Amino acid sequence: MAIRPSVEGMTAEQLAALRDAWTKSQALVDDRGFGYWAGVHGLPLPISCRHSPRTQNDFLFLPWHRAYLYFFERSLQDRNKAAAVPWWDWTSDGSHTRGIPEAFDTKKIGKVRNPLREARVAISPDDVKRVRAQAPGTITPGKVPYTRRDPDIPDELPRKATIDSVLAAPTYEDFSTRVENVHNAVHGWVGGTMTLVPVAAYDPIFWAHHAAIDRVWYLWQMSPFGVDPPAAMMDTVLDPFPMTVRQTLNINNLGYDYAVEVIH
Amino acid sequence: MATMDALQPGAQPGVLIANLRYARRAEVARFQRADLVFNGVDHGGLSYEVRVFLNVPTATGATPRDPTKGYAGRFVVFGHGGCFGELGHCDVPSVRRDPTDLRPGHPLVPQTKIVTITTALERILDKRGTLETVALVPWIYNGFRRKNGCKPGVFKMSDVTLRTYG
Repeated sequence: MAIRPSVEGMTAEQLAALRDAWTKSQALVDDRGFGYWAGVHGLPLPISCRHSPRTQNDFLFLPWHRAYLYFFERSLQDRNKAAAVPWWDWTSDGSHTRGIPEAFDTKKIGKVRNPLREARVAISPDDVKRVRAQAPGTITPGKVPYTRRDPDIPDELPRKATIDSVLAAPTYEDFSTRVENVHNAVHGWVGGTMTLVPVAAYDPIFWAHHAAIDRVWYLWQMSPFGVDPPAAMMDTVLDPFPMTVRQTLNINNLGYDYAVEVIH
Repeated sequence: MATMDALQPGAQPGVLIANLRYARRAEVARFQRADLVFNGVDHGGLSYEVRVFLNVPTATGATPRDPTKGYAGRFVVFGHGGCFGELGHCDVPSVRRDPTDLRPGHPLVPQTKIVTITTALERILDKRGTLETVALVPWIYNGFRRKNGCKPGVFKMSDVTLRTYG
């Protein structure tokens, strides 16, 4: 059972394994590599991610992204067995002081580029042109586009009181709506690449952000308010993943867990 | 309910004012929860947030988000940044009624957003007795943060409704 650590709570060994896996993943240009997995969310088309409902009983934001993280984390573990996607605690004192966690912000480790700080945006030249024209500033200029960030002030990140109010949601639909709003706000907070659905997943911080969202869902599931999604959506397949909503509900069945109490 | 067409321009280009009157009535039990429900919210463009102020018709992008001065919360839209397909790719088809059509809905089907304003509305009713206006201040997120701000044309929806629950 893999325990997903908080970013700030990672040991040196855990961080080294994560960076090793990420570096190897970014070097692969086939459907095992980081570029492929980042592209599943948005570009290249089709845009597969699920957010707010498109129809009734279609609250797929949480299960779709749980499946997404599961398959991506497994691909990282194919590169380094000890790798686990950490979760970014946006409510911590550290986050409210420094913003982006150091592990994802440091430019270099020794003389080597930090793979968690940025990534190549592996999309077609036509899509690069469109992104630059339609959403200036979301990717870097130059022949090879990279992710970029432009974060807001640290104290604008979500606070514990906000997450507590999300965790008090009385229904699945209400919980999904509330937590998605927090999720959207953090995408806007990071700025740059993270502000745009089609390219957001190319920023490595996307994955730590979504692990945090997944953890909040897990905490709600264990709370007195936690209930399953509506029966009508339980057997919905989370395209393109061969997994149904029902199969995402128990994270232990997916081979990972979170430490509930976190001491920084 | 206030439709998009019925909204009035606010104190800054882009700001919209909904005239949503609500007064506490003695014969009706106090609500346990109050939501502003925004239907048909567009998410095809850049990301943005909409800040909600109660009884602050002068609200602008510079108005502090102070709960004691009418700020009631916000919703955030994670935008698609325009269309990345060929002509017609981002046209949202009308609702399908064929039960054998199992395809998922179009990614750009407009969304419903909810801002729970229970405490903010209670505060207004305790202080002034009546809710009269809801100011909606859209704040766009550009790739370059220095270009973020309150801009007209960013926020599109079909209608907004105040719902209270006993």
